[in-house]
Amino acid sequence: MSPLLEIKDLSIDLYADSEKFNVINNINLTIEKKQKYGIVGESGSGKSLTSLSIMNLLPDALAISGGEILFNGDTDLTNLSKKEFLKIRGNEISMIFQEPMTALDPLYPIEHQIMEVLKFHGSYSKKQMRQLAVEMLEKVGIPRPQQLIKEYPHQLSGGMRQRIMIAIALICNPRLLIADEPTTALDVTIQAQILDLMNELTDNYDTSILMITHDLGVIAETCERVAVMYSGEVVEEAAVTTLFKNPTHPYTVGLLESVKSLGDKSNKLYSIPGNVPTPKQLTGGCRFASRCPHAMEICRSQAPPLFSIDADHKSKCWLYGEEEVVNG
Amino acid sequence: MYAYIVRRLLMLVPVLFGVSIFIFVIMRIVPGDVAMTILGTDATPESLKQLREDFGLNLPIYQQYFEWMAGVLTGDFGESMRTGKEVLPDILTRFKLTFELTLISAVLSWIIAIPLGIIAAIKRNTKTDFGVRLISLLGVSVPNFALATVLILILALFFSYSPPVGYVGFFEDPATNLQIMILPSIVLGTAMAGAVMRMTRSSILEILRQDFIRTIRAKGARERVVIFQHALRNAMIPILTIIGMQIGTLLGGTVIIEQIFSLPGLGQLVLTAITQRDFTVVQGAVLFIAFVFVLINLLVDLLYSYLDPRITYK
Repeated sequence: MSPLLEIKDLSIDLYADSEKFNVINNINLTIEKKQKYGIVGESGSGKSLTSLSIMNLLPDALAISGGEILFNGDTDLTNLSKKEFLKIRGNEISMIFQEPMTALDPLYPIEHQIMEVLKFHGSYSKKQMRQLAVEMLEKVGIPRPQQLIKEYPHQLSGGMRQRIMIAIALICNPRLLIADEPTTALDVTIQAQILDLMNELTDNYDTSILMITHDLGVIAETCERVAVMYSGEVVEEAAVTTLFKNPTHPYTVGLLESVKSLGDKSNKLYSIPGNVPTPKQLTGGCRFASRCPHAMEICRSQAPPLFSIDADHKSKCWLYGEEEVVNG
Repeated sequence: MYAYIVRRLLMLVPVLFGVSIFIFVIMRIVPGDVAMTILGTDATPESLKQLREDFGLNLPIYQQYFEWMAGVLTGDFGESMRTGKEVLPDILTRFKLTFELTLISAVLSWIIAIPLGIIAAIKRNTKTDFGVRLISLLGVSVPNFALATVLILILALFFSYSPPVGYVGFFEDPATNLQIMILPSIVLGTAMAGAVMRMTRSSILEILRQDFIRTIRAKGARERVVIFQHALRNAMIPILTIIGMQIGTLLGGTVIIEQIFSLPGLGQLVLTAITQRDFTVVQGAVLFIAFVFVLINLLVDLLYSYLDPRITYK
């Protein structure tokens, strides 16, 4: 059985001031059917760009410069025409975004914004569409859906709007749901509810999730596998339990350390020194070298490949150089 | 909503009251008066005095004002000091022309400006965009009278065409009427289109950067739906503001264009009345123009709330 989504050697370049900068460098990801996959990384690591490139919604200044994104085994999403993509977006792959407050069109009632997706991807009567929309709102836990459907986004809270975004994303029963920081802008009390809702619904619909987040807690709560991204590269990839138990890449270790120190009141908060390098600052070596406590001579001159720690665990770090090389 | 409309209409009272005092006083401060313009420079002081008394101009200014206001409040704007014609019917007749001119110019400008503005926004920083921006810059910066003169000249010289002389109302003879109105409308419409085009372009660009546009694309919407159903509607509010101001201004009469195309509109009426110091006509016309302007503003505000559910009036 072929995987649902396979990102192969994907690179994305940024075009600015008539110069070209690499922002995503040769990443590989595989999401199986019904799998919950997470990408974690700090701001600027390229996790959102990766998700937007799957949807072909990259901003104008960015373009895919290499690699392919295979959907359902045979459809290369980087090669689809605009028209073919319309059938995929919102239908086969759908997406929810970070900011529920601004993600809905302020001028249309909720009803219109949900029914719109059905109109794009099917032929229903108005009555059927309204019926389906109300049912979907019930499923995402909206009280009084009959009345609420007539309201406008500004009349609803952030949590409600995110539920509506989920309803819009799932109403066409997509194969893949991309969730780009879906809980970051929400109250802590609402966050868990939204994650539970997404977990439950995607289980019912057999939908895979690609969860993009900077929050390892969200990964722990929802995902089965996880890729850690740093400066446009996947630096470690493993099952979630493995990653938490046995992190290998110094960046992952640092990330986990900074979360762990939150619970420990005696110590100062741990943070990884320095910042993510900008595309202009990149040298030939490992992109994490300037912040890495274990940096060696080779790290500064030569970028490490993804080494296999074991069959299911890969790490992009020279510390594991003796192991078998995965990607030449 | 109705309470709001009523309140806004009530607010007309102080506005118009202020305007009426302002114009009344201004007309009397300006040197020269209607008696001098009627009798000419050779008039004897006695005849001037006599005429002023006939018009009641010898009375104290507040008394003049109250007499005029008493008439206005009962719908009697008085008679022209020069022609003896009733002021209000004269204003209304001329307003019909001005209204038609405004309407045609405005529609013409929208037909050109809104689509071009949208195209420029979609094709930002391409040759098309620069072309549209150049056109809109020309539209805004070329003076009306220059464009009008050039247009008349070109038509006369190269096509031996000149528009019919003498104004005919639309309902008397639509074909002739439109022939008379189309040239001035094109001239006025060009200037309006320039501003509307720029506003459409920048407003659409602004909206296209918003998060919800990305959501709509992520739903699988065609670009047509993205632009027309979502971007344009959201961009309409600032465009509407500009359009409202343009229409309000045009409805007050366009002195220069009416002069060039010899159209007996509101602008011409006011201009003639001012040069002749025809106090009653100037006062009546200014009051009427202010009234129309405020009304247009109210209409625009109501349209806002129709377009945007977040804007409600209580």
